Amino acid sequence: MSSLANLSLPNRRFALGLGLAGEGLKYFRYWIAAAVVLAFLGPLALSLSTEIELSTWFYTANVGKWFTAFVAGGFLYALVPNMIAAGLTRRELSAAMGVFGLLWSIAIGVLVFAGLLVERVFYDAMGWTQGIQLNDTITTLGSWGETAAFAAVYPLMYLAYFAAGAAIGAAAYRWEGSGWLLLVPVLPVVFSLDNALYDTEPFGPGWMGFLGRFMDDWGRAAVLAAIVAVALVLAVAARRILIDIPLRSKKA
Amino acid sequence: MSFSATLRDVTLKYRDTDALADVNLDLEAGKIYGLLGRNGAGKTSLLSLLAAFRKPTGGEVLVGGEPVWENAGIVSRVALIREGGDFDDSDSVKSTIETGQIRPAFDTAYALKLADRFELPLKKKVRELSRGKRSILAAICGLAARAELTMFDEVHLGMDAPTRDAFYKELLAEYMDRPHTVILSTHLIDEVANYLEEVVIVDKGRILRHEEVEVFQNMGATLTGPAAAVDAIAAGLEVLAEQQLGGTKSATVAALEPGTRERAAAAGLEIGPVGLQDLFIHLTEPNRNGA
Repeated sequence: MSSLANLSLPNRRFALGLGLAGEGLKYFRYWIAAAVVLAFLGPLALSLSTEIELSTWFYTANVGKWFTAFVAGGFLYALVPNMIAAGLTRRELSAAMGVFGLLWSIAIGVLVFAGLLVERVFYDAMGWTQGIQLNDTITTLGSWGETAAFAAVYPLMYLAYFAAGAAIGAAAYRWEGSGWLLLVPVLPVVFSLDNALYDTEPFGPGWMGFLGRFMDDWGRAAVLAAIVAVALVLAVAARRILIDIPLRSKKA
Repeated sequence: MSFSATLRDVTLKYRDTDALADVNLDLEAGKIYGLLGRNGAGKTSLLSLLAAFRKPTGGEVLVGGEPVWENAGIVSRVALIREGGDFDDSDSVKSTIETGQIRPAFDTAYALKLADRFELPLKKKVRELSRGKRSILAAICGLAARAELTMFDEVHLGMDAPTRDAFYKELLAEYMDRPHTVILSTHLIDEVANYLEEVVIVDKGRILRHEEVEVFQNMGATLTGPAAAVDAIAAGLEVLAEQQLGGTKSATVAALEPGTRERAAAAGLEIGPVGLQDLFIHLTEPNRNGA
């Protein structure tokens, strides 16, 4: 990691966070490029046989949430033994993960924001409708403002999914064999908020969105505030799990 | 500057089992220590506490006079290298070496020089390395850490004999160049005995002995000669180990008094120093069969 060269003790947690974001984006650059290309070429191919009335970037952006959670959990799971053995404290690692999460969420969020706006131009040029599926009906993003507002919440959603992934990754390392069970309380809450925000069917089994019924009447601002709160709680939980985590014994 | 290490009434439990119990240990700065013990004795647990890989269940662990737990100024200058290293297997060798730069004192140029000398393929993934090459990578990361307390936990197990020899020489050269505290945990006792200044023997989660190497070596002697003569001199002494081949016998005995030494010499017996490994086997109960 070139960003680690010549670092000093007080700033190394920030340099590491920056380096992780850079390395993460570099490592998955071909995956990200493939997703971008598919998001534009997909509707073009589909238009040969059907009328396009749904945003492909809506689906790409939602896959990005899972991807973000996977990156956070997978990286943290691998980094715990690696970084602590390299002389990092757990507090420094949690700070580095915070920087990583912020930068990653901003980078992927900006990409999705730009993708949805470019898609808007693309769809308008092709005479297609940029819509999202709401339960059984399709809602059209009627104006540029609606598209921008719809896209603007993705960085926050990615941050929430990153925090969820980090908490589950830390738990999976700490409680080998049973740590992944943290999925059970975390996923329904995150999915339900996600569901409430867009008022769409969540990804995954339908029951996971059950909490959404209690949020139907919430305003968008309240849901956004709840997402911020959940992201913070998950980040604190991940840090708490990490803060006194023991390194596992090496197996022969 | 090199670090001292202190454990005060330290206990480490894994669920209901005591890995370490009421351990008190003082290691002076700037020496090379051997950490010996049978499988499961608690060596790795002890090293894990010194490197803050684990938090003690009770007691206090000080390195350089300060608590080591979550102390960035200390842990960044402490290196514990476990067999096979704690690496991300999907990383390349070069990237793994560069990860060491998290330590401000890490010497990348030295690490790359050693990688070249030990013929480590920098572009290969860690998971593609043989056990021996992986051990070398771990050892290189430990040496290049330029830590004030460096601990190697069976790191040389996967290396072949010439590589182990080269590793010991490099370790000694680095130590002479930059005095610091080194702890070598190993089962290859006789191989490292000449490099050690003090030896700590851990047994059943407790410190059994902590002495200078000379003290261990003067704990007895090896008498070799005709069986009858050896038996006559060894009678009444504490015999640590015996070996007989035909009429020739060798007995390792504890505490050889000057008078007894003279009688042994007069009887034509060869008197040699007690081997650290023999002493270790004796001290850790030879009749107990470990893993």
